[in-house]
Amino acid sequence: MSQSYNSIKPNVIDDEMLQKAVEERLPEDIGKLAKREGIDFKDVTELQLSFRNILQIDNLWQFENLTKLQLDNNIIEKIEALESLVHLVWLDLSFNNIEVIEGLDTLVKLQDLSLYNNRISKIEHMDTLQELQIFSIGKNNLTALEDVVYLRRFKKLRTLNLTGNPFCEEEQYVLFVVAHIPDLVYLDFKLVSDTTRELAVSKYHYLIDPLEHEEAQALAQLEEKLAKQKELEYHKTAFVEYLNGSFLFDSLYAEDTEAAKLAYLPGVDDLLQAYRKDFVSVCENLFNYGLKEYEKREAEVSEFYKGLHEALTANQQEGRKIILDFENRNKERLDEIHHATSYNIAESKRAEYNEDILQLSETLMTLEMQTVDQLEELIKDFEKNIAVIASTFIENVKGMMAQCRDLENRHHEKLLEISINTLEKSVKNELDEDLPDDVRELLVDKTTLVNMVNTSHNVHLLKIDMRECDILSNTYRWQASVTGKAFQNEIDRNRNRVKEIFQYIDNLQEQLDSIELLEPPE
Amino acid sequence: MEVLEENDEEEQREEELMKALEISDEPHNIETKLSVDQVFVPSDVSDFDWSSIDISQLPSSYKTNSPREKKLLRIADHYLQQYTHLCPDRKPLFLYPVNECGIKKFVSTTVRPTLLPYTELYHWDGCASFVCDYLTMEPLKSPLIPPSLLYSPTTILKYQRGNCFDFSVLLCSMLIGAGYDAYCVNGYATHDICSLDETLEVCPLLRKPQEVPKEIMKKSNKYRVKSSPDMQSKFELQQEAKKKAETEATHKNEERGEEKVTEVEKPTHDPLYGLRVHAWVLVLSGKREVPEPFFINPFTGNSHSTMDEHFLGIESVWNHKNYWVNMQDCRNGCKDLIFDLGDTVRWEIMLSETDKPLQVLLDAEEENELFDRNMDDIQEEEEDTSFAMPPSWVAPIQISPREFETRCSQGKKVILYKKAKLEKWAPYLNRNGLVKRLTVYADLGCTEVVEVREWFKNREDMLDMRELNKQTQLTTEYFSPGHLLGLKVHIYKSMEPETERVMEFYNEARVDGLQKRAENASEIKEYFVGRDDFKYFQHTEFGKRGKKISVAGARTDINSRPIVQMKECFHRNLEKPADEDVAERVFLITEEMIHLTYHLKDKYITASKKDFFKPTENYRKQSEIMTPEMCITYQAGSSVKDKKLLHLYKLLQELTEEEKQLKQQVRQSEAEVLNILKIRENEEADIKLTVSIYNTERNEKRKQQYEATKNAMEDEFPVHEEQDLDYLAPFLIQIGHPEKMTKGQVLRLRDDCLTDFKNRLIAKANIIQARFEKEVEELKKKNQQFQENQSQLSREEEAVFLADYSETMFRIHIVALRLNREKQTAPQKYLALEEKLRKDPRLAVHLSHA
Repeated sequence: MSQSYNSIKPNVIDDEMLQKAVEERLPEDIGKLAKREGIDFKDVTELQLSFRNILQIDNLWQFENLTKLQLDNNIIEKIEALESLVHLVWLDLSFNNIEVIEGLDTLVKLQDLSLYNNRISKIEHMDTLQELQIFSIGKNNLTALEDVVYLRRFKKLRTLNLTGNPFCEEEQYVLFVVAHIPDLVYLDFKLVSDTTRELAVSKYHYLIDPLEHEEAQALAQLEEKLAKQKELEYHKTAFVEYLNGSFLFDSLYAEDTEAAKLAYLPGVDDLLQAYRKDFVSVCENLFNYGLKEYEKREAEVSEFYKGLHEALTANQQEGRKIILDFENRNKERLDEIHHATSYNIAESKRAEYNEDILQLSETLMTLEMQTVDQLEELIKDFEKNIAVIASTFIENVKGMMAQCRDLENRHHEKLLEISINTLEKSVKNELDEDLPDDVRELLVDKTTLVNMVNTSHNVHLLKIDMRECDILSNTYRWQASVTGKAFQNEIDRNRNRVKEIFQYIDNLQEQLDSIELLEPPE
Repeated sequence: MEVLEENDEEEQREEELMKALEISDEPHNIETKLSVDQVFVPSDVSDFDWSSIDISQLPSSYKTNSPREKKLLRIADHYLQQYTHLCPDRKPLFLYPVNECGIKKFVSTTVRPTLLPYTELYHWDGCASFVCDYLTMEPLKSPLIPPSLLYSPTTILKYQRGNCFDFSVLLCSMLIGAGYDAYCVNGYATHDICSLDETLEVCPLLRKPQEVPKEIMKKSNKYRVKSSPDMQSKFELQQEAKKKAETEATHKNEERGEEKVTEVEKPTHDPLYGLRVHAWVLVLSGKREVPEPFFINPFTGNSHSTMDEHFLGIESVWNHKNYWVNMQDCRNGCKDLIFDLGDTVRWEIMLSETDKPLQVLLDAEEENELFDRNMDDIQEEEEDTSFAMPPSWVAPIQISPREFETRCSQGKKVILYKKAKLEKWAPYLNRNGLVKRLTVYADLGCTEVVEVREWFKNREDMLDMRELNKQTQLTTEYFSPGHLLGLKVHIYKSMEPETERVMEFYNEARVDGLQKRAENASEIKEYFVGRDDFKYFQHTEFGKRGKKISVAGARTDINSRPIVQMKECFHRNLEKPADEDVAERVFLITEEMIHLTYHLKDKYITASKKDFFKPTENYRKQSEIMTPEMCITYQAGSSVKDKKLLHLYKLLQELTEEEKQLKQQVRQSEAEVLNILKIRENEEADIKLTVSIYNTERNEKRKQQYEATKNAMEDEFPVHEEQDLDYLAPFLIQIGHPEKMTKGQVLRLRDDCLTDFKNRLIAKANIIQARFEKEVEELKKKNQQFQENQSQLSREEEAVFLADYSETMFRIHIVALRLNREKQTAPQKYLALEEKLRKDPRLAVHLSHA
């Protein structure tokens, strides 16, 4: 650095600086070539920006594939603008003026992070860096030894540097760190010996044990949650989520205030219990049937793709054979053209070759047409089968839903009967039970009561209809998407293949033409 | 004869029985005609004289019969009488032949079940091959009747020769010892089997293992593409099929002709077919996981199915416990026989046993009723049922490791098979480790050699087998793991370098994963397995040597062949995308070109390619290091999105570097071939055999070492002893070791020595005496204490005292004993020393005179 220490001019990363930095990395001969062609920042994997008085990080978004970035010995105050460098493995931010750890959340592949000689006072905001192996945060402002506990979450951390922080003065510093990060191999450039580790464990086990217990519990909970989620996901793909139990039944009564009031009428409780039992059992049936059908659907789809794969492999082999045959035959021919004694001969050979190429193109296209026909048939079969499966499923679901509705109707009738009976009794003042006031109020007018029962009934029916509708629409959607995908795949495949054939033929033609150019006409 | 006294009813019954037996007798009827006019005497009568064997060393059980054996013989005699009476047409039973000492012994007692301490002999095939290798076969004196002599297995083992009965008894003893349900069989077999003529058999080593057709269960998928409509003319196909059928028919005719030729090879009809007596071993299912019964021919050690057509009939079977006579029809050989020895209708048992399975027990009762009706002596019957087979009279069978290893007599054995000769040697017999040689001939006369196979053992160069094909002149050597450079197979015509050869390697043992290297004058093909760079094949072509030195490959070494082309093939590396993963790499050295072909992308039929033309000198001079003309690229499936020259340049640089390395590698592998050839030559020139460190007999070094240490021990020990026993030393020191002593000196010396000894003895006795007194004193004291405090003592303390008391009493007793002994032995010891001193060489001169 030619400038004197006092007259540092702060810099911002700009294109010019980047260009220079990238070019510096290249060896001389390649450098020239690269300069002429221009460098694509996307291809750069390593970048060194040390000693450049950078104040602010910027303009790095183009380096998508960067794995190693050195920004040491600058005057950076804030970690920013690194979000797009998701492939970064090695990040050096040492000797800067950073105060807070931040902006690293997207760098999930980071293994080596250096924040040496900065002004950081707290270890934080690093939860996503699960790959971290080497972490250097020496010569900072860390004061609280408890901060080290944060590093427990990095299961792969083996090397840690904390020297030169205020808390290193504390007597139990080493033991505390070793105790809390049991897999640590190197601490502050020194190997952690087994004796130290044993000592640390024996000293701090009272702190570590509850910690470990807590972590284990948290892990278990998480696993449980994940397992549940996965199961739910599975049920959802089978379109029968929340049917294995009383969820649906409970949802019928969830927002139904009238039903709650009616439940106080004598005899309704028993009725409700019986209804619930029947309803839930129908739901269970539906659930099991749904899972079974799901397996069937999956099997069908996988079998289709297996068949498709077989057909495609056979087709690929066939095509490959044609092309290899052609290539073997025509290697010699190209040579012949190349070494032809006269222009005429060369010309005739060229024409022959041209013919051959056309022939090849023809063969390949025919093969492709044939394949298209075959696959179309295959996919149509598949579509048909899927349709059959879907329609049987729908029919059966409808049948079971009808059972639910029947149950509801029956329940409704009985409820109505009880209500009216109770009303009559109440009118005659024969009611001996104690009823809450709002329920008593109901037992005044027959129409209101009947209306109320009806509303409740309608709400229930609506809920059942909605659930049925859900299943049906999901099924239709699945059917459409599965078949659609099969067709779309086939179309894509066909396009790709045709494109490939054309390109290959073009390539051959080009080669032929280029040879002809070398042959001067006589 | 008791039989004469039987009543009418029994006679009737017997007749029925006889009728039943007549059927089975039919094949034997021929015998009566034949045996009269001819008795076939084998031409190669053994030169060994059995009468000259030494029987004086044999144990007494060989020379006498115990009372139980005598009784057994009586029973057997009885059994035989009834048998001859019931089945007069059948041959006499082989029941109690004479042993080597001329004593009648029942056959079952000759079987001596023994398990020998060799792992190979734990399985039937090991036993069988040992017996057939170890013993030399002798034909029967008369091929039509069982021998009158049956020697003990120990004698047979000692002289290493015997007939089929001796073979069977020995093998059966070993098999029963190993836990098999084995039986000796006396029966009839074909001439080939009886005379150990295997010249019509295909050598078992040449038999091809039957390929088990792998059934691939292919689940039919309902989604299968329909093949395009068949446009071929049906008529044409039919015509073609017809043609094919015709040609096949002609082929068949030709084959039939050949078959006729082969039929000629078949043996002429044997006039004694079905009459030749043979003995072999039957192994029944049930024990040792034997799934179904089978025969073992003791001459060859081969197993045969019980359906085998070479075995023509069974007279009787026996093991160490019992004897059974076959009552089944043997007209169709042994095919229809049922080997359920508990079935009394089919098998007539001699001793009804008690330790047989339950089913047999039940049957035995019936059998007794049926058979013993002929007996009027009820007592005899009772005795019969309760009588158990006496233990074998034969001494334990022993085979020393040396004998076991040497196997064949004189360590060599030759077997002739159909168009093949098999020779066997004991290990270490041949200097080059040869243990087996199979010579295959083209013709039956065994004149034209087709192939020679040699097996080796214990060779230091791990050579396992060598195959020499005389027709192609190809030698194939197979090595066990452990040879230098992991050599596994070496196929060659000559040991000259740069000729046609194939080397296979144990690729697990090699760093470069080389599995096979095929070489000839102009190319090397190398096959690899399990490499990290996914390379599986490398092909190098060479040009003519010494044409031009300017050729690039020749520059490194003028002597080596110039490399023209190198080709490498790689497996798919799934970590890379397909069109960046090179499948084939060709370096054309002379044309300065490099071809790269990439793997196919999914569902693509064309592979991406790159052809590099290396920059010539002209290019180098210019500042342009890379131009677009230097590389022709075809990228499958993407419109010509030319990669940057920078990348291509880098790639080219890498490739150039790798080309250099590859060249070096080729040179290395050439050098390796030379090296291997040299090593092989050296090894063949000086063949060394390895000896296990556990083999103390063979391991010369160990033996020497052992002996050396033993000698050293012996050297050391006597010195030690002498020093220990030199009782005169302290006195000699006193007078200062004079060379010669005067008589007075000697006498004084003797007296000193004796008095010293006397004092010591007295001192010893005194010490013992003192101890004794002390113990007694102590006891007294304790006793007194106890007496005084007895009333205050708790039960526990009392118990402690009692224990202590009894212990002290015990000690006193011991000390008293010792004192006594000391008193008795002291004078004796004194006398002994005096005697010794008199005989001492240093003093003897004077003392003897005295």
